[in-house]
Amino acid sequence: MTVQAGTPRPAAALSTIPLRRRLYGFGSIYGKTIRDSRLAFIIAAGLFGGLSLVMGAAIGTVFPNPEARVEIDKLIGSMPASMVNLFGNATLMGPKLGTLGGYMTWKYGALFALGTGLWSILALSGTLAGEAARGSLDMVAAAPFGKRRIALEKLAAHLTMLWLAMAIVAVTIVVSSNAYGTAALGDPVPLAGSIGFALWAGLIAMCFGGLALALAPLLGRSGSAAVAGIAMVALWAASGLDVGGPLVDVSPFHWTVNHIPLVGLYDWPGLAAVGISALVLLAIGVELFSRRDLGVTAGLSLPGLPTDLLGVRGPIARAFGEQLPRALAWGLGMGLMGALLASLVGPFADQIGQDSTITKTFGTVFPGFDFTTAGGWLQLYVALFYIAAGFAATTFVSKWASDETEGRLEELLAVPMSRARWVIAGGVAAVAATVLMTVILALAIGLGASAGGAAAGDAILGAASLGLYGVAIVGVGVAVGGLWRTSLAAEIAALVVVATYLIDLLAPPLGLPDWFHQLALTAHLGQPMVGQWDTVGIVACVVIAVGGILIGTWGMSRRDISR
Amino acid sequence: MSTPVIETEQLTKAYGSHRGITEVDLTVTEGEVFGFLGPNGAGKTTTIRILLDLIRPSSGRARVFGIDSAADPVAIHRRVGYVPGEFALYDRLTGGQTLGYFGNLRGGVDPAYQASLIERFDLDPSRRFKEYSKGNKQKVGLIVALQHRPELLILDEPTSGLDPLIQQTFFETLREAGASGTTTFLSSHILSEVEKSCDRVAIIRDGRIAQTGTVDALRDLAHHQVELRFAGTVPESEFRSLPGVSDLVADDHVLRMRVTGAITPVVRAAARHDLVDFVSREPSLEETFLAQYGRQAVDGSQR
Repeated sequence: MTVQAGTPRPAAALSTIPLRRRLYGFGSIYGKTIRDSRLAFIIAAGLFGGLSLVMGAAIGTVFPNPEARVEIDKLIGSMPASMVNLFGNATLMGPKLGTLGGYMTWKYGALFALGTGLWSILALSGTLAGEAARGSLDMVAAAPFGKRRIALEKLAAHLTMLWLAMAIVAVTIVVSSNAYGTAALGDPVPLAGSIGFALWAGLIAMCFGGLALALAPLLGRSGSAAVAGIAMVALWAASGLDVGGPLVDVSPFHWTVNHIPLVGLYDWPGLAAVGISALVLLAIGVELFSRRDLGVTAGLSLPGLPTDLLGVRGPIARAFGEQLPRALAWGLGMGLMGALLASLVGPFADQIGQDSTITKTFGTVFPGFDFTTAGGWLQLYVALFYIAAGFAATTFVSKWASDETEGRLEELLAVPMSRARWVIAGGVAAVAATVLMTVILALAIGLGASAGGAAAGDAILGAASLGLYGVAIVGVGVAVGGLWRTSLAAEIAALVVVATYLIDLLAPPLGLPDWFHQLALTAHLGQPMVGQWDTVGIVACVVIAVGGILIGTWGMSRRDISR
Repeated sequence: MSTPVIETEQLTKAYGSHRGITEVDLTVTEGEVFGFLGPNGAGKTTTIRILLDLIRPSSGRARVFGIDSAADPVAIHRRVGYVPGEFALYDRLTGGQTLGYFGNLRGGVDPAYQASLIERFDLDPSRRFKEYSKGNKQKVGLIVALQHRPELLILDEPTSGLDPLIQQTFFETLREAGASGTTTFLSSHILSEVEKSCDRVAIIRDGRIAQTGTVDALRDLAHHQVELRFAGTVPESEFRSLPGVSDLVADDHVLRMRVTGAITPVVRAAARHDLVDFVSREPSLEETFLAQYGRQAVDGSQR
């Protein structure tokens, strides 16, 4: 037999991989990515599905009759068009604004799109670039299939999870609106409407996720996520405020401004344009990944921090140096939102002041709120700020935990530094990062209010409540990491944030027992943005923060260090 | 007799149902370079991590400088330089900043000595850690461990990723440290580097110490591969009964055997015959090592 040089040796027969493991597990890249995404999916589907369910119940309970719905119409209809359209096209909705679908679209529609978009950005910026930076992608790419297939399988896995979550949202909206809504008031949302809404949120997410995927080979994970995230918020704000110019023209939010499916208004061409853009961006991302060197970015990374700020003097300075970029990013992001809301107050306050009917309407729907101040508006959306502050705190916990999960802790503890000192230094740095984020938010609120000519004293002080909630979440995370394992610290802290939000939102409108509502820490913080503080909540946050760090210190001294 | 720098007694660690190490007894005296050999997963890193109190033993105890490792680990760490088998540092810090940070954490680092180590290991301290190759990351780890002139070096696979020239530099540095009284505990599965750098060696297998002794003693304890070529008939039965002889194989006029311990009886027996050739090969440590794992069960008599 003649064997020529280069003739491959006959491969051993491959065992058949069960389809189940190809779809979920270690049978394929797709299956493993699905498996890796399960926690993010549970959080996203739980948050948005839960929100859809709860909103139906809440709106049906709080606005149960035609008179109450008229109040909604008056409330929203009286706002400046620019503000109304930031959250949903109230003008186009007209009388349907007072339906369950209308109010849900106006108050929470943007949250669905922005939240889902954030998920896609984080997933698609990291699925290839993050793994390439860690080095594990080299091993995958050495397997006998091309880079394009790797990218496509990973992308397909994310899209599977995204659309599964959106399907859950569609179903829960239908169930919720039919179970809790009033047919006579036009509340029930048909399946076509909920599918249209889920399609809108999902395609917006795909669009900005696609942008992150396309930029990732050039900017790396954090750079692409930052640019895509900023682009998403900026294009949403530009469209909502109708600032005009090219920024509005390229905004997918603007293309779909007339697509309000929960009240039966559809704009399929606009939605198709978003879908096509998303597919183009995703295709660019896949092709760039396929053609470029693995893990080599184009050197267009974002500017770094000055060396002095990175901190190498001691464990607290070092830990804070690691937290600093995240603290700045969260502070600026939340600050942008706070400044935006605060800056809109001035013109609106003038309008309210000129019309006693509007003032009365607002007083009926939101008793105790002064909408001539920035605080009144921020308190209206404080629940969203609590979520953001809570998730910011979980990222600080995650960074603290990375010393152990990424293998640095072994080297750190080989120096004359006790485990207790490491936990306390990390906890203090995470608290300091939360404080920095809060200060930036407070300053931004002040600047925004000044620009709009409104009072912001209470709101600036009220931002401290977000910091208090954040440090409490840090305490929870550090306690879990110290007692149990750091790899679960951020995840469990995130679950506490989601649970707190849902309990605080769900308990009052559903008439759940008061003790259940009191489980939510945010239920004890009063209305700090309008100057109403609850001492119990302040003390509870401080105790949880300090106690959590001390418990983490105690737990850490008793357990083995992970590798 | 001076206090051992490292001493373990019946040291045992179980990870749930998984084996860690079992009844490990070790003694490392001041100034010696002690090799800790074993295949992957044998328990080398587990032992080291207990010595540094990164994990706690299930039973038994470990003392470093006479201090119980779980009682006052900070006092131990103050006198130790450590290179983990696998480690990661801060991606955004440069090599120089990383060295500075660990110097700050420890205190007492002589900048001139640090600079000399950077020069000897040919490290560019201006680059970020994430930009380093694997070998350069390892150099940072080595300098972190050496720069404060520790009394005890605990090195887990220290030459991983280093090129041969830097490996040579590393062993020179180790010899210099030893000359100034530093004790070294060197874990490795690369036998040649243990053979040329260590005074004593312990071999760990399946979590138990299989053998401890000097490098030379290990060789003596080990076998010789002997090949005798006779002019006439092979006197196989005469050799079979000799002490220390095993694995006897007769092949035409050639007799091959494995001889453990003294080789004198074999030489005397061979001399009584018409011998054409006599080949006895001294085993390398590697062959000793393989023989340990290939042939001998780990039991009480070996410990």
